[in-house]
Amino acid sequence: MSAPKPVIEIDHLAYAYGSSEAVHDLSLSVAPGRCYGLFGRNGAGKTTTMKCLLGLLRPRSGRVRLFGLDPVADEVEVKRRLAYVPDQVAFYPWMSIRETLDYLASFRPHWNRDVERGLLERFQLDPGQRAAALSKGQRTQVALVAAVSPEPELLLLDEPTSGLDPIVRREFIETVIGAYQEGDPSRRTILVSTHLISEFEGLIDEFMIVDRGRSVMHMEADAARERFLRLRARLPGAAPAAGWGPVLRARQEGRDVELLVDGNGAEAAGMLRAAGAESVTSESLTLEEVFVAAMQAPRPEQEAK
Amino acid sequence: MMLQINFKSGKPVYLQVVDQIMAAAASGGLRAGEALPSIRPLAEELRVNRNTIAKAYGELESQGVIEIIPGKGCFLRAQESPLKKEARRSLLARQIDEAVVLAHHLQFSAGEFLELAGERVRLMDERKRVSDEKAGAAS
Repeated sequence: MSAPKPVIEIDHLAYAYGSSEAVHDLSLSVAPGRCYGLFGRNGAGKTTTMKCLLGLLRPRSGRVRLFGLDPVADEVEVKRRLAYVPDQVAFYPWMSIRETLDYLASFRPHWNRDVERGLLERFQLDPGQRAAALSKGQRTQVALVAAVSPEPELLLLDEPTSGLDPIVRREFIETVIGAYQEGDPSRRTILVSTHLISEFEGLIDEFMIVDRGRSVMHMEADAARERFLRLRARLPGAAPAAGWGPVLRARQEGRDVELLVDGNGAEAAGMLRAAGAESVTSESLTLEEVFVAAMQAPRPEQEAK
Repeated sequence: MMLQINFKSGKPVYLQVVDQIMAAAASGGLRAGEALPSIRPLAEELRVNRNTIAKAYGELESQGVIEIIPGKGCFLRAQESPLKKEARRSLLARQIDEAVVLAHHLQFSAGEFLELAGERVRLMDERKRVSDEKAGAAS
């Protein structure tokens, strides 16, 4: 069986605002049904990448394709099949929630009224309320209702939960899992950019870490948690003078040692035992900890092409 | 039945679900014919990708542990597993390997490990017997 055609293909994308480069030679591919995380600090190039996908910005070089289509040339077809939730949501202030949703539904070939009703109830939104009177959390909830009700094949989420309270954040993610993922799994693909990584941990199948417009790492979430480990041990005396070899980070306080390793956990545990450690425990790094480790790792300034 | 996902365990999330349901079935915490939580509410509750739960349930079904009846739900099958002995063996070996590695890290000798393993088997048998008796008394 051949691999299914990717829903998102980004090929050597570059974009610059004037002379300031925002995205540099970024490539990624997302298969149908997957949830892909784009992790990076503020200003890493996540939103610029999203805007190139939406056809709002034209790549300086490289190519983006959604469903195999060009988001600029095939704008109508592409927008029909995806939904987008940005971090700052704006609606016409004079419209009520009901009018806003009807207006947005008028652009859609399909709109699931049951899903819409269920979510309005769940979020306890009053359809008669004017958009101008909504809190930031409520605006995001309305945007989510508007994104999920058309049952799009692709959901683009750009920092969707930043600045929201914990309850709204929780409900947001449960809605993406519950209401959005309810349909045919091959037609429910998600790309989420966020720096609130721990909230999305269970949802993420695969992720890319971007820093200053460049890809630093991309990996399957399960594989990352298998590779990146934190080993802890208590030594009988001082650490060996030779140090701990190829570890991401070593920390020692008195006789307690903590090592962060990338893929060489067994080797590092062997070194600890050879140094006479009484017990060695190991746990995986969470994706957020992997992100922090990747950001702190020294990198050559100029990547080899 | 309460499932718990631990992202620090290093075990793929779907396997954590598979192993916990198998453990619940083995210890009598889950009985033949009993319904498992359906995929959507379980995914929402654990806040994990719906596909992860679907993959776990698919794996459990292919191993003959559960039965998925469309429109009705997922149910634990009767104990006589149709799963091939070889497949069951490798499943168990995977779990034992983890324990062996841990025992090594915690500096238990092979003899001590085997002794403890025997003790745990006896304890689990005893728990299952008590649980079965309670179930018998209740019906």
